[in-house]
Amino acid sequence: MDGMTLPNADAVIARAKQGDPVALEALYRAYSGPAYNLARRICRTTEDAEDVLQETFFEVCRSIRNYRGDGSIWGWIRTVTSSKALMRLRRNKYRVTDDLHEDHAPGQNSSIALRMDLESALDQLTDTARAVVWLHDVEGFTHEEIGTQMGKTASFSKSQLSRAHQRLRLWLGEEAMT
Amino acid sequence: MSTQHLTMDQLLAVRDGDRSEPAFAEAHRHLGACPPCQQELDRLHQRTARLRSLATLAPVTDQFPAVRARLHWEASHSRRRKLASVGVAIAATLLLFVAGDHLISPPALDAEQQLETAMTRSQLLEQQLREWSSGSRVVDGQTAAVVIQLEDRIAALDRELSQSASREASERLPHELALWQQRVGLMNALVEVHVTRASNVDL
Repeated sequence: MDGMTLPNADAVIARAKQGDPVALEALYRAYSGPAYNLARRICRTTEDAEDVLQETFFEVCRSIRNYRGDGSIWGWIRTVTSSKALMRLRRNKYRVTDDLHEDHAPGQNSSIALRMDLESALDQLTDTARAVVWLHDVEGFTHEEIGTQMGKTASFSKSQLSRAHQRLRLWLGEEAMT
Repeated sequence: MSTQHLTMDQLLAVRDGDRSEPAFAEAHRHLGACPPCQQELDRLHQRTARLRSLATLAPVTDQFPAVRARLHWEASHSRRRKLASVGVAIAATLLLFVAGDHLISPPALDAEQQLETAMTRSQLLEQQLREWSSGSRVVDGQTAAVVIQLEDRIAALDRELSQSASREASERLPHELALWQQRVGLMNALVEVHVTRASNVDL
């Protein structure tokens, strides 16, 4: 991904580390799209996702000197983004009882297939479950990484993913296994 | 082989190749002989692929101007704090320098060394002023008036220094030393004005 979205990534990163504003903007232009997408998939609203995007790149610009180049630059920015997005979730107290409320979708215990589309089904998951599904199945974070970012264990992440898939399977109207 | 179908935990473990999951090997064996579970695993793979192919969402507004503004604000505040602390350090140094003769009676630098020290300090303060002025800042009227007075007096000292070469060698060194020391004092006051925006500098 680095090569596709940011030509001469190494040179741009080196300049960004020196505080070159043009290089910092180049990083933003290259990675704000995927970073926003990640933030938006975790956050409920576009406003929250845009705040997370701003927080992420403010942090990236301030801390780029600490980026050692061990992994890809997108891998680093992605971790900053998910961390900021999860922080935003925690801050939004309106969903503080998240883990206790798993019944956003009606009839989740019913055998009647609801046949939602995937976007709607994803949206019906709890914030935590949705974040785990996205971080693990789409972004490729390990359960250990997700557990750490959430202040929980890898087992917590695994269990959230499993329950989320059970619900998605039901809400998407996939054939029930007997 | 177990007759029970695989749980979601087991299906996910197989999908992710997670061998740390208990009964991973048994689940793998079960799959080979259980078409419904194989079908369920296929669905899980398909669901994951569909998740990955969901539309990419794009931000409505460009956040970089806000990021840049925050960085600029942070940098200017940090510079201001740094300059303020440098100003205090210089003021303390100058106080020691000016009062030093009375306070600790150092084994006195000779006049040439003192002149060199004063010139170096003056250059340091000039450099700080240049850095400070590079950001085209807005100052209030009173501050601007104080700055102008200080700059006029520094300009007058510079004229005197430029004419000092015509003096006798024996008079020249102590005269220039006195002028440079005054210049350092004025430059220090100028830095302080810029740093604190104070308008009550004792002229």
